[in-house]
Amino acid sequence: MSLRDWARRYAALMRAGWLVDLQYRAAIVLWLILGVAQPLLMLAIWWGVAGTDEVQGYDRAAFARYFFALMFVDQLTLAWDVWYIDRWIREGEINFRLARPLNPIHEAIADNLAYKGKTGLAMAVVWLAVAAVWPAVRLPFEPGRWALAALAIALAAAIRFLTSYVTGLLAFWTTRATALYELHWGISLFLSGRIAPLSLLPPGVSAVAAVLWFPYMLAFPVEVLTGTVATTEELVRGFAWQLAWLALWSLAYRLVWRQGLKRYGAVGG
Amino acid sequence: MRALVRALRRAFALIRAFWAANLAEELQYRANLLASLLGTLFWMGTAVLTAAVFFRQSPTLGGWGFWEVVALLGVFNAVAGVVEAVLRPNIGRLVEHVRRGTMDLILARPIDAQFHVSFRRIVIWRATDVVLGFGLAGFALARLGRVPSLSELLAFALALAAAIAIVYAIWLGLMSMTFWFVAVENLEVLFDAVYEAARFPVSAYPGGLRFVFVYLLPIAWITTVPAGTLTGRISWTAALLAAGLAALALLATRLLWRAALKRYTSAGG
Repeated sequence: MSLRDWARRYAALMRAGWLVDLQYRAAIVLWLILGVAQPLLMLAIWWGVAGTDEVQGYDRAAFARYFFALMFVDQLTLAWDVWYIDRWIREGEINFRLARPLNPIHEAIADNLAYKGKTGLAMAVVWLAVAAVWPAVRLPFEPGRWALAALAIALAAAIRFLTSYVTGLLAFWTTRATALYELHWGISLFLSGRIAPLSLLPPGVSAVAAVLWFPYMLAFPVEVLTGTVATTEELVRGFAWQLAWLALWSLAYRLVWRQGLKRYGAVGG
Repeated sequence: MRALVRALRRAFALIRAFWAANLAEELQYRANLLASLLGTLFWMGTAVLTAAVFFRQSPTLGGWGFWEVVALLGVFNAVAGVVEAVLRPNIGRLVEHVRRGTMDLILARPIDAQFHVSFRRIVIWRATDVVLGFGLAGFALARLGRVPSLSELLAFALALAAAIAIVYAIWLGLMSMTFWFVAVENLEVLFDAVYEAARFPVSAYPGGLRFVFVYLLPIAWITTVPAGTLTGRISWTAALLAAGLAALALLATRLLWRAALKRYTSAGG
């Protein structure tokens, strides 16, 4: 299929996703509020802990920048697919999707793009508005770094999407796929930098995190955006890990999707 | 007085009948007990570890020591258990009742509709949260080497009852909004967002937020006050204040409920 065909398909899928979301505007705002509540809370506590001093190089303003960047990147890398895929498989909604001449993952990707276009923009506007009155959360104007951050965010979103999608596909085998992802979420609270910048965790924990995919779904793009990760060496290492984990999770997707379909056919057939 | 006693006795008899029927249903799913237990242990673990991350950088949070905060997390978990076992499965469904018109069936019954909407069901497995929460608080007290006096235990019981009444009032108030805005689906998300803040003593928050959590979103009364009475940090006066506040909150929900029912026109109306 040509590139133009793909563009047309994606345009149609994204439009459909966009229209579905339109019905749930109020619900989306509520999810957005829940999404920013946890990082804001962590910021509030760190704010109190830092006081007028600093905690391992983080003063109040640095914490504020970190958690604002985190809220922004979190909205752009959000992954809800495990709930959808789990339901698609358990309730048979996947059947008509399988009958289409298009892998269902494209529908999921298009939905993600449509949704994140909106919430990402909303977060950016809120951030700008807050930055106008609160200098602490302002980022220095550095287009080069922002471009790198955009790339890191895109890769992070892809990895996080795959973790969620692949876990959802486990519903071919188990009814506890979503519970498994909640577990993943609990671990990611620490290892992807939601509670604190990774450098504030015990050294052993952050060393383990650095070789897993967790920080590359959130903390790495956040720190590229705030400028904490700035040296060429750190950047190269971070992007290399992102690509490695993206490749591994893509492989996992292929494997699970193929085996899952076989199993699904066997049960339903 | 005698009328009140009779009304209370009738209420308890009704709750017993409701929950006995419900229990028979739930007992078919005993595997849920294990899942619920493991889930509770996991989330309590992450909560304690989160606190530990902050305590790595600071000897106290808002003047509270580590084990005092752990005792507070125990209370947090116990109240969360009440929410999950009783509030969410009952009041959480109010939106559905209003939208689908099943509210009619409730109004037609010879018992108080607010009572029915509030206490019809119980998800008994989530009672594990309450038990394990108290267990955690007890463990923290042991680590503090502290045996609460009878007077402190009484203050704790009063403050905890007040906390539950306040949480109930928040839920009913929030979900009653559905009588005005039928389309709002996941309103309880707002509670979840705010309740997160109850994981820390209010004194750990910056001044402005502290004011909000004491006076506007009454988070302080839900965990800080009960846990404080247990560790001897907060006096009887606060427990009595909490009880007064709870009584006011319950009265307010009653008035709100009356006003809301006047708005109800059934699904066809």
